[in-house]
Amino acid sequence: MLNDMMSHFELYQPADVDNAFDLLDRFGEECWTIAGGHDSLAWFKDRGKQPSAVIDLAGIAELHGIRETAGGIELGAMTTLTEVERHPVIQERFSILADAARMVASPQIRNSGTLGGNVLQDTRCWYYRFGLACYRAGGNTCYASAPEAMNREHAIFGASRCVAVTPSDPAPALVALGADMVIRNSGGERVVPASEFFMTPAVDIQRMTGLEPADLLTTIRIPDTWAGANFYFEKVADRGSWDFPLVNVAAALRIEGDRISDASIVVGGVQAVPRRLTAVEDLLRGRVQNEETAAMAGAAAVEGAEPLRYNHFKVPLMENLVKRAVRDA
Amino acid sequence: MIESNSVYAGLAGSSASLPKNPGSGPDGPIESAIEASMCAQPSLGESSLGWLESRGNWSRRNFIKGIIASGVAVSGVPYLASAASRPALQAGAVERLISLNVNGQTRRVDVLPNETLAMTLRYKLGLTGTKLGCDRAECGACTVLIDGVTHYSCSTLTQRVRGKEIQTVEGLESASGELHPVQQAFIDELGPQCGFCTPGQVMAAVGLLMENPDPTREEARQAMAGNICRCGNYDHYLNGIMRAAREV
Amino acid sequence: MAELIGQDYTPPDIRAKVTGRAKYAEDIRADGMLFCRLLTSPMPHARVRNIDASAALAMEGVVAILTADELPEVPAPGNTILTNEPLYVGAPILALAAVDETTAQNAIAAINLELEPLEFCVDPLDSLRPGGPNARTDGNTPRGRETVAEMNTSEGVGEIKWTEQDFADAGEGQMPLGQHEREWSYGDVDAGFASASLVLDESFVTAGHAHHSMEPRSAMAYWQNGKCYVYGSSQSQAYIVPGLAAMLEIPPEDLVYIAEFCGGGFGSKGGAYPVMAIPGYMSKKTGRPVLMRISRAEENFIGVCRPAFQGRLKIGFQPDGRITAVDLYIVQDNGPNSGGGDWTAAGSAMSLVYTPPAMRFRGLPILTNTPPKGAMRGPGQNQLATAVEPIIDKAARQLGIDPVAIRRINAPDNSSAYGPNQGPVSSAYQREALDMGAEQFGWEARRARSGQRRGSKVTGVAVGQAFHSAGASGFDGLLRIAPDGKLYVHTGVGNLGTYSYSTTSRVAAEVLGYDWDNVEIVRGDSSRGLPWTLGQFGSNTSHTETRANYASAMDAVQKLKEIAAMDLGGSPEDYDVGEEVVFARGNPSRRLTYAAAAQRAIQLGGRFSGQEVPADINAMTARATEVIAGTGLVGVARDGFPTRGTVPALAAGFIEIELDIETGQFEIIDYLGVADCGTVLHPLGLSGQIKGGAVMGFGMAALERQVYDRHYGLPGTVGLHQTKPPTYLDVPLDMGWSAVDIADPANPVGAKGIGEPTMGCAAAALLCAISDALGGHYFNRSPIVPDMIMNAAAGQAQSHGPLHVHTQ
Repeated sequence: MLNDMMSHFELYQPADVDNAFDLLDRFGEECWTIAGGHDSLAWFKDRGKQPSAVIDLAGIAELHGIRETAGGIELGAMTTLTEVERHPVIQERFSILADAARMVASPQIRNSGTLGGNVLQDTRCWYYRFGLACYRAGGNTCYASAPEAMNREHAIFGASRCVAVTPSDPAPALVALGADMVIRNSGGERVVPASEFFMTPAVDIQRMTGLEPADLLTTIRIPDTWAGANFYFEKVADRGSWDFPLVNVAAALRIEGDRISDASIVVGGVQAVPRRLTAVEDLLRGRVQNEETAAMAGAAAVEGAEPLRYNHFKVPLMENLVKRAVRDA
Repeated sequence: MIESNSVYAGLAGSSASLPKNPGSGPDGPIESAIEASMCAQPSLGESSLGWLESRGNWSRRNFIKGIIASGVAVSGVPYLASAASRPALQAGAVERLISLNVNGQTRRVDVLPNETLAMTLRYKLGLTGTKLGCDRAECGACTVLIDGVTHYSCSTLTQRVRGKEIQTVEGLESASGELHPVQQAFIDELGPQCGFCTPGQVMAAVGLLMENPDPTREEARQAMAGNICRCGNYDHYLNGIMRAAREV
Repeated sequence: MAELIGQDYTPPDIRAKVTGRAKYAEDIRADGMLFCRLLTSPMPHARVRNIDASAALAMEGVVAILTADELPEVPAPGNTILTNEPLYVGAPILALAAVDETTAQNAIAAINLELEPLEFCVDPLDSLRPGGPNARTDGNTPRGRETVAEMNTSEGVGEIKWTEQDFADAGEGQMPLGQHEREWSYGDVDAGFASASLVLDESFVTAGHAHHSMEPRSAMAYWQNGKCYVYGSSQSQAYIVPGLAAMLEIPPEDLVYIAEFCGGGFGSKGGAYPVMAIPGYMSKKTGRPVLMRISRAEENFIGVCRPAFQGRLKIGFQPDGRITAVDLYIVQDNGPNSGGGDWTAAGSAMSLVYTPPAMRFRGLPILTNTPPKGAMRGPGQNQLATAVEPIIDKAARQLGIDPVAIRRINAPDNSSAYGPNQGPVSSAYQREALDMGAEQFGWEARRARSGQRRGSKVTGVAVGQAFHSAGASGFDGLLRIAPDGKLYVHTGVGNLGTYSYSTTSRVAAEVLGYDWDNVEIVRGDSSRGLPWTLGQFGSNTSHTETRANYASAMDAVQKLKEIAAMDLGGSPEDYDVGEEVVFARGNPSRRLTYAAAAQRAIQLGGRFSGQEVPADINAMTARATEVIAGTGLVGVARDGFPTRGTVPALAAGFIEIELDIETGQFEIIDYLGVADCGTVLHPLGLSGQIKGGAVMGFGMAALERQVYDRHYGLPGTVGLHQTKPPTYLDVPLDMGWSAVDIADPANPVGAKGIGEPTMGCAAAALLCAISDALGGHYFNRSPIVPDMIMNAAAGQAQSHGPLHVHTQ
């Protein structure tokens, strides 16, 4: 944590994905893939990660750009957050994703930070980042859930030995939009729904997503399912710029008349994965969109929350954000 | 040596002589709550520090010694990394002697694979106007334009910007010494205080005005939100940007 | 005649700042330069058992290591350069020099460091409990300390423990009042409380926070001809020399100190600080120039921080809001070393800002294994502002008095007194500042919006105040009129970023009637002949240096007149100066240009050209004068202008916020800062101090965090995204400023300082506004961060222990 000179690595800049797969297969666990590089370079400077080979994906043209398709849009994983934020189709049809991208860190980070890199970034639990041998780092304890631990930023749901949370703003938006994550490796391609892409510690405590070492996240597909829906995104953080969410919410509502015909609501910052509120969504279908319904949704959203020593504020905060999302979407 | 006491009174209050009592109370377990904790780790009061052993993992990294011929470095002095810290090149990895387009000039530079643009600018090209405030993409003092877009050079690998146009604060002044309107406006509005964040503020503002020559004050501050000024002179910098926008 | 005072101008160093030409310590390069990096402690308190650097030293490119064993011993509890008993996470244990930074870092990683963990403490109240842990093996409180923040003047370490009874007596959530180290009082405190119609007894916590100057404290050094040349990052210039020379164990005249620019200090770079000596020692050992670049994380720890307070305030009021008595008790989180005098400064500030007719102060500093503490912008006074101002609002609410009115009735004026000795003040116009601010802010109309709801958003409107003693006296001025006719003002002031080094130099130009374009400021390099002056801290420069420069300018005026009388006849009193000539009053055609007078001064020698100097000037000034002796007419003098006691800088901040009770977030709608700083010298510079101070105050009040895990003693806030200094988006889109602009009689141009209270008043105003928006929920704590607002708005308990520090 006290360093800022990276240890040595060789850098590879493949021009296409096949070249990248060759490198991934060749170096295996010794290599590290960088997108925008912000999270990665911080790890390297901390010397918390010391790969011998680094694969820079910036030169792979097919990983960039936003394309309209028959059933929605496709975003190359290396599309910058600035591009996501400003893309007219995203602004018009999937505005929560543009809104979420706009909330990430700072303009400079959005200019080089990518959508893929953002959703793949590691958790910001400070104990873990400090370099302690916690469960997530391969050790046998969780420092952040000790009785006197400073865990204001940590999970209120789904803790399983580890209490770290997802730090992403776009991730809840992607889950809410029903995005699919296209993952490729030298053996082929698989498509994983965003709602299953992120991993709870109960499944794998050392990884935040289902991406395997030889995999590349190449594309994010957003189906038309929620296009033009009533959207709501809000992030609550300590600072107005360059901060991770304490809690964020991404919601899409379909309204028919005065009734909610369908809903997709996802909350970030409360669990290791973006928390999809399926029970709340079930509750909402067929109800009138009003303050009362919103309050009910908020209350239902936080049922079962298990706050730690310093983060019970997240319970009313999440309740309020879900309430606002349902009321104001 | 001290000619005046009044400032010390102000800095630190009274120095009136006062009673001092050595104190010690009855014994009692201060950390009882901590010792009773469910945490599996030994407390720091014990000699074994399991929690610290992890630190060894990242202090004993695999360092490969090696030499690379590098008589072509731009600078005579290898400040950033010398032969001592340069392992041999692996097949397929990036070449180290590259061309960079900086402020309109093409410079041949010997760049390590793990080298950031801020380090290249500061240590290889002598462009120390680009500042290292945090080296973590958090403060903005290292902001440069890459193809006209603001980036944190501390968190950009130099190898990634081959073939791109890099603009630093040193590249703004005209050959005749005329300042960029943003620079002049920052002078007129007394934008800088300590000045350390200023090159980054200048570059962020130049990037903004290239893209949006007539920003609202709100648009301006959104665009500047990646640059911290610890002196807190945001209001003056925004005044400078609005002035520069009028004059561009 | 020049008219420079009160005018905006282009400071001579600003062009270098906007072009990137400004060279900070880290920008200095030298042939053969080595890079130095630090090995710092991963533990809050430990003893170095063994250092095995053999593998590191065997690495190609590694030149040397430096350990505490090779450096002079620092008596406890002084802060060390390097240490074998690290007392906080991040404490430098060893320095290593190599041919480049990567090699140095690799070598640091190859060092096998054996540490024996020792007992530690990160919360003073833990240490005060019976049997509680001590931060140092020899105790938990500094002994016999003096009040100079940056000097290691403490004499040893003692131990203070409170009794179980002390804790029990306090009651749940209230600050125990156990044994203290210092006490002072004046007036009849008991009678004051007895006569009060409202008495509040409030416990409070103000958190510490790191300075995080934008420029980490890098330094570069080399030796040449027996002298050590150090390029440092310091807000002061002349003031650094004695301290740094002492650390390097060389006479001050053998140190050349260069600090042309400083990337922010805020008190943390006011005096010589320990790590600044490392490149000097390393260069001596290796015979090569050495640059030590400090990382942001290192800066977080070794860059010192504002000490936290845990305190209790008992305060009595009459029905009209006038305070009858104050009883203030403060425990200061002193860090592991000598710390700062914030706690005592807070007591003195209380006595002036609220003018209680009777007051008692008690307090004690307690050592913790957290980063060393040092002065930060308004040390003590600003913590006091954040603690007390919301309590004043609480009283106002209970008494049904307007917040401005209750401050007004207690505000200091020229007859007010300061501190334990209740000494005089030079001038105080806080009532005028409050009135001016209330009018310009539209207080009445805005106040009517207090508590107004707009959806989930509530309006909060508030005012805050702060104070700092802002001026010293008795330092030296030095200037030279050269044969080219130019005025060279030599200043030992540093370049903190306030432009006061040049604004105060303009006083000399004003006195001599110089066109500003014909003035050059000589500064930033001790070899250029810089006079002794106080460090650039404590909001003192505007007052102190205008006095000193006035003195040297008056000396030059006198010499000009004497030369004119010698050459043109008559007596010196017959002559006057202006427009760069000295002329006979009755016959302006009898004149000498300054250029000619300078030439004559050289011919005359002696005191005219600096070969002889006044006996009362400092030895450093005498040496500085030698540098320029014989090159022109030299004005050199010690400031002997009369003094009138403490020089108060006072400020008031007016704020309107909109707080969202559903998210715990707020937006600052508007802010106006008003200063009582005497005569305004440089309007744009003052604007920057008022607004910039306010931004830092917003950070102190509601953003900046310093979190420690009590169980492991580890820091949860290191980088900027964790410590959270304010960004563009955390402050109002537009900010306003104003100044009372009434001259201080204790200064030849009426100037007082101002840099510090501008922060405290804004911090206090914001805390008060948050409480106001929440309908009178007083947290008695700073900072107030969104989780606390959320808990308050939701009506649920706060997470933190009521008296815990390092939890927000």
